[in-house]
Parts: sequence; C-alpha cells; structure tokens
Amino acid sequence: MTALEFQGVRVRLGRRRHAADVVKGVDLTVPAGTVVGLVGESGCGKSTLARAAVGLVPLAAGRITPGSGVQLVFQDPYSSLDPRMTVGSAVAEAVPKGAGVDRAGEVARLLDLVGLEPGHAGRLPRHLSGGQRQRVAIARALAARPRVVIADEITSALDVSVQGMVLNLVRELQRELGLTMLFISHNLAVVRYVSDRVAVMNRGRIVESGPVDDVLSAPRDPYTRTLLESVPRLR
Amino acid sequence: MRGLKTPLGAAAALSLAFLLFAVVLGPILWGDDAIKVDTMALAQGASAAHPMGTDGLGRDVLARTMVAARPSVGLALLATLITVAGGLLLGGLPAVLGRRAGRLLNGFIGLVVAFPGLLIALVLAVVLGSGGRPAAFAIGLAGVPAFARLTQTLAASVAGRDFVAAARVLGVGRTRMLVRHILPNIGEPLIVQATLGAGGALLAFAALSFLGLGVQAPDYDWGLLLNEGLNRVYVNPAAALAPGIAVVLAGLAFNVLGEYAAQVFGGRSPAARGAGGSARPVPGDALTVKDLRVSYGPAVPVKGVSFTVGAGERVGLVGESGSGKSLTALAASGLVEPPGVVAGSIEAGETAMVFQDPMTSLNPALRVGTQLAEVATAHERLARRAAGRRAVARLTDVHIAAAAKVARQYPHELSGGMRQRAMIAMGLMGTPRLIIADEPTTALDVTVQKQILDLLREVSDSTGAAILLISHDLAVVAQLCSRVLVMYAGVIVEDLTVERLVAGPAHPYTRALLASVPDMSADRSQPLATIPGRMPSPADPVAGCPFAPRCPRAGDRCLTAMPPFEDGVACWHPIKEVS
Repeated sequence: MTALEFQGVRVRLGRRRHAADVVKGVDLTVPAGTVVGLVGESGCGKSTLARAAVGLVPLAAGRITPGSGVQLVFQDPYSSLDPRMTVGSAVAEAVPKGAGVDRAGEVARLLDLVGLEPGHAGRLPRHLSGGQRQRVAIARALAARPRVVIADEITSALDVSVQGMVLNLVRELQRELGLTMLFISHNLAVVRYVSDRVAVMNRGRIVESGPVDDVLSAPRDPYTRTLLESVPRLR
Repeated sequence: MRGLKTPLGAAAALSLAFLLFAVVLGPILWGDDAIKVDTMALAQGASAAHPMGTDGLGRDVLARTMVAARPSVGLALLATLITVAGGLLLGGLPAVLGRRAGRLLNGFIGLVVAFPGLLIALVLAVVLGSGGRPAAFAIGLAGVPAFARLTQTLAASVAGRDFVAAARVLGVGRTRMLVRHILPNIGEPLIVQATLGAGGALLAFAALSFLGLGVQAPDYDWGLLLNEGLNRVYVNPAAALAPGIAVVLAGLAFNVLGEYAAQVFGGRSPAARGAGGSARPVPGDALTVKDLRVSYGPAVPVKGVSFTVGAGERVGLVGESGSGKSLTALAASGLVEPPGVVAGSIEAGETAMVFQDPMTSLNPALRVGTQLAEVATAHERLARRAAGRRAVARLTDVHIAAAAKVARQYPHELSGGMRQRAMIAMGLMGTPRLIIADEPTTALDVTVQKQILDLLREVSDSTGAAILLISHDLAVVAQLCSRVLVMYAGVIVEDLTVERLVAGPAHPYTRALLASVPDMSADRSQPLATIPGRMPSPADPVAGCPFAPRCPRAGDRCLTAMPPFEDGVACWHPIKEVS
C-alpha cells in the first residue's frame, strides 16, 4: 500500500478575472493503510482537493503522490453511474486490461465483496436502491485495483439506515484490504466513526489535523470548535 | 401500446398508416394508371373516372400522387439520414478531439448554424446539379449544422455529469466515452429531433422540386406534381390540390410522430385530473389532518395519516425517503399536483412553506424584496411602497444585516443560508399560524444549519406560529421540536415527545433508526446497527404492519393485521422498557 501525500497543493478554478484560489496550499499526508477524515463546510475546497488528486482538475502548484492509481467514489450514486450501463459492465469497464484477466469472475468477486448478489450484474442502476448503487460505485472503484481510495461525501445522499450499512462496509473493506483512504465528509460524527486521523479544512486551508480523538475532544483551532458546537445532538 | 389511446398517439398511428400504405402499395396498385397516357382525356377536371382529374398527357393525377409517395418519402428519409449521420459526426467530434481542436470545431458549427438552412440547401442544390439524389444531399447537408449543434449541446450537458467524471478517472478513452457513455444518454432527444426533421426535409424537398431543382421529369415526386398542377390551377384545381394535400398529410405524420416520440421518451404523459386538498382557516389548532391519503394511481405513498399540531406547537415529522413525509407536508399545504389524488380532511390556519432548496423556490429573475412584497400586494392588496417597507422589516427580523441592500439583490447573489432566511422572511410577510419547513437545512452546512434552526425557534416564539418540521435527521428535529411524529411506509408509527425519543422509543422502527445513526459518542469498535431489508414500495399491498418483515419482534399477527394506533404507537409488541 502507498501513502497519499499532498505537498503545497494549490488549485485555481475559473478563468482570467473570475479565477480564484479554491485550495490555497495544502500539505496533508494519508499514511499507508490508514483512513484520514477530511471535514469542512461546502465551498472550503475539500471536494476540489479530491478532484485534483484524481486529475479531474489541474494543479496550480504543488505535488500529489501517487500520480496514478487513485480512485474516487462520488457523493451522489444517482449521477455517478451511467444510467444506460448495467452494473456488471460498469464494474467490468474498470477492471484493468491485460491477458488472462477473468473479467466475469472479477466482477462477481467484487460484487460479492461489497455485499451484492451476482444477479445484480445484469441490472441497470435505476433498478437499485441508493445504498445498492453506492455499493456498485465502491466496487467499481476497487475494480481498478487502486493504491489509494478517496471517498467524497459518499453517504450524504443516502438515508440514515442505509448510511449505516455503507459506513460498515467501508470500515470492513478498509480493514480487510488495508486500504489507504481519504474520507471526506461534512458530518463530524460520520468522520469520527470511520477515521484514524482527521484534518479540518476551512477556506482552502487545513486549519487543524491530528488523531481523531485528540482533535474532536480538545480542538485547538477556533473554527474546529465552532464546527463541533454546531453538530446537532440528540443527547 | 398504451399511448395509442391518447388523441396524439391515435393521430400519429392513423397518419403513419396512410403514409406506409401509400409508400408500400402505391406503385403496385396505381403504377399502371399513373403512366397510362389517355389522349381522349387530356388535362381534364375531376370526374368519376379521374377523381382528381388528369394531367397534360391524360394521366390520372390521383394515381400519380399515390405513386409519388415512395420517391417523396424515400428521398426525405435519405436527406434525414445524411443530416443525422453528419450531425452526429460533427457534433460528437468535439467530445473526442482535444480541448483546442474541439473549441475550433465548436466555433465552426456556430458559424454555419448562422446561415438559414433553406438557403444552404438552395445553393448546394445548384452546385450539386438537379435531380433527386443531389437534392437529397443538398437538403441533408443543409440540416447538418443545426443537428450538430444540438448533439454538441446535449453531449456537453452529459459530459458534466459525475458518471462521465468517474469514467475519466477510470481511464476510459475518449471514443469509448462518446460511444458508450455519452451517445446512449442523449439518444432520445436526438431521435425526436430527427423525426421532426424528416417532416421538414419532406417539405423542403417538395419546395426544391417545385422550383425545378429537385426531381426531374420523367421521374416525379409531390413537389413536381404540385408544380405541374399549379400551372393549370384555374382549369383543374384538383390537380394541384392532390399533391398539396399529400405533402401536408405526410408532413403532419412525421411531426405528430415526433411529438409522440417526445412524449414516450420524455415521459411527458398527459396529466390526470385529481382533487387537491384545500386549506381553510380554523380557530384552535394550527393544523388538523384526518385520515389523509395521497395516491398516484395504484401507488399510495400516504396511507391514512391523522395528527394535530397545536397552536404554537413545534412538531417534527421524521422518516426515510419514501416514507411519505414530504407528501404529507405538501398535502397539508394544498400543494399536491395532479396526477396525485388527495383524500381525507385537512384543516389548517394561514400557512407558510419553507422548502429544502431555496434556490429553486425563489424566482431567480426577481429581486428578493420584490418577491417578498408580492406576497403582501397579492394577498392584502397593500400599496407597493408599504409592501416594500414591510419586506425590508421582515428581512431585518430574520437577522439579515443591511436588509435594504439585500432586498435589491437577486437570489443568486445570496448564500444558501441567506436565501433560506429570505424564504422564512417571505413566510412572515403574512401572519402565519403554521410554518411548514420541509428539510429546510439539508442543503446547508452545519454551522448555518444551527443558525436557521435557532431562527425558526425564535420566529415561532415571537409570532406564536406553530412549526411542522419535516426531516430525515432525528438530531435536527430534537434541536427544535418538542414532539416527534415518525412515519414509515405511508403511516405514522409513533407519536412521542423528544424526551421519550431520547430515553427510548416504544416502536422498534424508531429504536432501529436511532441506533443506526452514528453520533459523537458512538462506540467506534462496534459496527453500526443496521436495519436489514427495505421499506415496502407505495405500490405494494401491505396486509399487516409495514415494518413487520424487517422487525426482530414481529410475530404472526404483525404480518396479517395492521396494529391500531394506541398510546402514541402503532405496534403489537411495543418496547416498554426505557433506557
């Protein structure tokens, strides 16, 4: 497994006069085989950082390693799967090409891994529930045999009871496969549940990072404190 | 095909049947009559032997019109084929080529689109020479720019979707991306456009032939027949009328077929009629709902819901997607649109509605202040200036700094939280007894969410308005409300206080829901509790308790009989112990 490293990453979006730095110099390391949670509010640049890591947006400065073998699981499973492609072919498309690759077998193995039945391979996304779609998206990301997985708000479009299943799956897979993972979410409770370390992002910068329990029980940055106080609590 | 029962579907089928009949059987049935020269009946008017008269050589015009269907339609289809092939190629290329070449090609398409299609067709027809095939090429090529532009625009809209980004991350090549991911997802509007285009090509062809640039004698199509007939229109009007009617009918057939295709593919089925629930003011409770049912044909998403919201009370309505909570809220404010049918009784005082996404519920083309003032001018016939002043006052009430300035701004200039505040201010323009807020904070950040919840509480305290908060998030509901209604598969399964919710609900579903949400004190070494199975769909008939198939406490009775709603819970085996 490989670590994911951001070194002095800057991302500029928009053209000419409307251009603005969305990510303003981020240094962040996700140690190999661990999960780092990235929290922050919408517009803070966390999704842009994820897109930069997989090459969907260009870097203005800095370096992200590894440069390849990073897979992204998107927020909305309703739009991240091609509505005209069966589950099986969506996953098969991601399996690396090469001689002696048993595609059908690999697809079956991956679907089983994420807890879907082999019969799901022939179905179209519209016949699946939100939770099942997100499982397909995870299977597709894993099919590419990534060195690093980035999960961008993967449960925020899901119902609470389904969210629990997907979070359990993410934890299981991460432990079984020893995945290196950047887990992005605006939900602190969710991040706390899956991550080993947490980084807090605000206005394009990482304002605080450290082991989950330390940051959430004794936040040093005022923004982290505001964020923690705003979390609605039942008890 | 169910669509044939609609007037449009029937018209499409009928005109298409006529066209097919003429194309397939025309030359066989009338082929001989069409070329039979009758020197005894030159250029005659309508008669029993020749219903549409004869032409200069004594040939039967009706027979010739029917025979001409095949070349006319055939050439129109050939032209359409050329348009579609050329358009797909030109419009799809920018997606395959690199960024710079793509931009250049887009510019080229934009340039040629600026020329009128018929003008290009005429020029090309002159250049390519007269005759059927060259004219088909001229018309086909003239249609390419518009079709290419449509393809390119649609492709660009699909290219922005997440699944295309996902495929790019997976390293899918550009050509495969176009063929596998983009084209299948834009096929429907293109088919509709092509069908409509075929009608246009038919008319254009008739026009070219009429001008002598299309089909040349001794061959003939409708346009040429029209040309011949028009020379003698005062002698025998029928000779010009017959091909004219044929052109109109065929053009209509293609257009109606295109409209029909648009309906089938676009899912634009004609709306069914339904009775909407009305809201009328009553003293006492802010909202009383009795045995509310909302149905869409066989699907019944809300299956008999009864509850009251007292004056000034803050009640939460929670449930997962598909539980019917949002429809219940819409029905309570009389906003269910046909084909939805609302049954049961709803009594509500003046109601204000706050939606999840304030960007789509505010009119983007109107200034915020104007939209707010509109409420007062429309409902209370307040003078415009007084209404404007009240709008600014209400914006101040929801803690918008520099309210006068914000009133002059457009919704897109405001942040999500500000828009939601403006939406609440809009609700306060009248004197609502009830504010229905449907997931008002789901689209917002946690810090802003807290501010909006605080604002709703403050508004409720200061104006005495009751609140019905619809949410999927138990914690959010607990922040604002004193009472919680839990919905599952179209029914209310539990009605409890927030204290009871925290201490331990009686319904197994509420408990399971509570356990499946990670909170800041969840044990990280344990997997989260989950609810196996899925909620029954609104179309499934449910005999017993809808939660029974997923419930660990379910017995035989649960599967056969719906438990009555007693002591705030609808369950045969409620959980008594409180943690």
